Amino acid sequence: MPLLAGAVTFSRLRAKLPKGAASDTKRWLLGGLRRHAFQPLVPGGEEDRATGFVELEDSEATGFTPGAVFQGEHALFAWRADAVRVPPALVKAELARWLAAFDAEHGRPPAKREKSEARAAIRQQLRNRTPPSTKVHDVSFDPKTREVLVWAASRKAIEEVAGALQEALGIELEGHVPATLAAWGGIDPDGFGPTAELVGLEVSASAAAKEATDVAA
Amino acid sequence: MSRRERQTEAAFLRGDVGVDGAATEEETRDEAEAEHAKAREQLLRGRTWLGRELLTWLLWRSEEGGALAKLEGEGVEVLFVGRLTLRGARGDVTELVARGTQAPYAAQVRRALDAGLLVHQARLRLTHGEKVYEVGLDAEFLDVRAAKLPELLSEAEDDRLAERLWLAERLSALVDALANEFLAVRAGRGWKKTVAAMKRWMQEAPAER
Repeated sequence: MPLLAGAVTFSRLRAKLPKGAASDTKRWLLGGLRRHAFQPLVPGGEEDRATGFVELEDSEATGFTPGAVFQGEHALFAWRADAVRVPPALVKAELARWLAAFDAEHGRPPAKREKSEARAAIRQQLRNRTPPSTKVHDVSFDPKTREVLVWAASRKAIEEVAGALQEALGIELEGHVPATLAAWGGIDPDGFGPTAELVGLEVSASAAAKEATDVAA
Repeated sequence: MSRRERQTEAAFLRGDVGVDGAATEEETRDEAEAEHAKAREQLLRGRTWLGRELLTWLLWRSEEGGALAKLEGEGVEVLFVGRLTLRGARGDVTELVARGTQAPYAAQVRRALDAGLLVHQARLRLTHGEKVYEVGLDAEFLDVRAAKLPELLSEAEDDRLAERLWLAERLSALVDALANEFLAVRAGRGWKKTVAAMKRWMQEAPAER
């Protein structure tokens, strides 16, 4: 749990709260977390990935009592993602064994459909035997300052957690990136482009604004 | 073998010319063009250039020493430490990593900046009052990476968590204060003069020792 100890790595976001959130912050926040609580993968099920919110100090707990979530002004919780990944090489090796046995038994290679059914069955068997890997990313949120810290290094994880927070709490999140900081400070980031003398390229403000959005999209 | 013949031989071995001595254009040019297109995309995506200009400006300003911004009335001092990654979107070099204790302020780095590369990732030591932080920053997202916070003073576990969180948010506010200082300069009328001063600093890089 990086929030409690270890490497201090986090992404910084600011939330725009939905109407009514400020009147009963605790109820609104805990309700959102409970509705998007982590549900573990079902053994023998078909899903390969399960995600959701868990309590900070116990990644198995999803009760989200005020005492477990709030520390002073901050709400502290975590995002958990469990995934089962069956190595394709293992499926391939098992399938090759099955193909040889089928040929020996029937004296012919299997039909396309038989092979595809066998592959699915092998994959399911292996999936049931493979324990899921678990990743947990801490989140701290101060509803007063509207600052959210996602304690993760991977961009993919940060974007997944941000998306889940927006969905669960109905908030809008913006990162503390230079262009957003400019906008927050009353500076129009579309008003200027890269400095040609520094970057060595002539890109007009309008072209830079267009390409910033195009590429991001 | 004459000098000219040796040069032709070397150019052939590098793949710059074919057996007929004519330049091998297509493949290498395609590769270079693709690389430049990617570098340009990385520069413009989400206005990464603004973050690169910010980190480069900070490097220039920090060499003089002194406070570069203020947070709650107290100055924020910056020192670049350790590894520095420079990136650009033109020329033969699109990325350069400088390692070494003195690397960020080395003459080689200043010359690379003058050639159109800008700081993309850096490790900064921030001093705010008596507290000293270290933080890795990247130009695109200004995410905090592998930061070192000042030593915790609290002893009880809950208090330590609260203090750690407070320091993390403090660090975030320091980064924002520096960025806001830059943005005010960047959007101001004096930016052209600032750029001219930065370029002079880059071009006045002392000879290597």
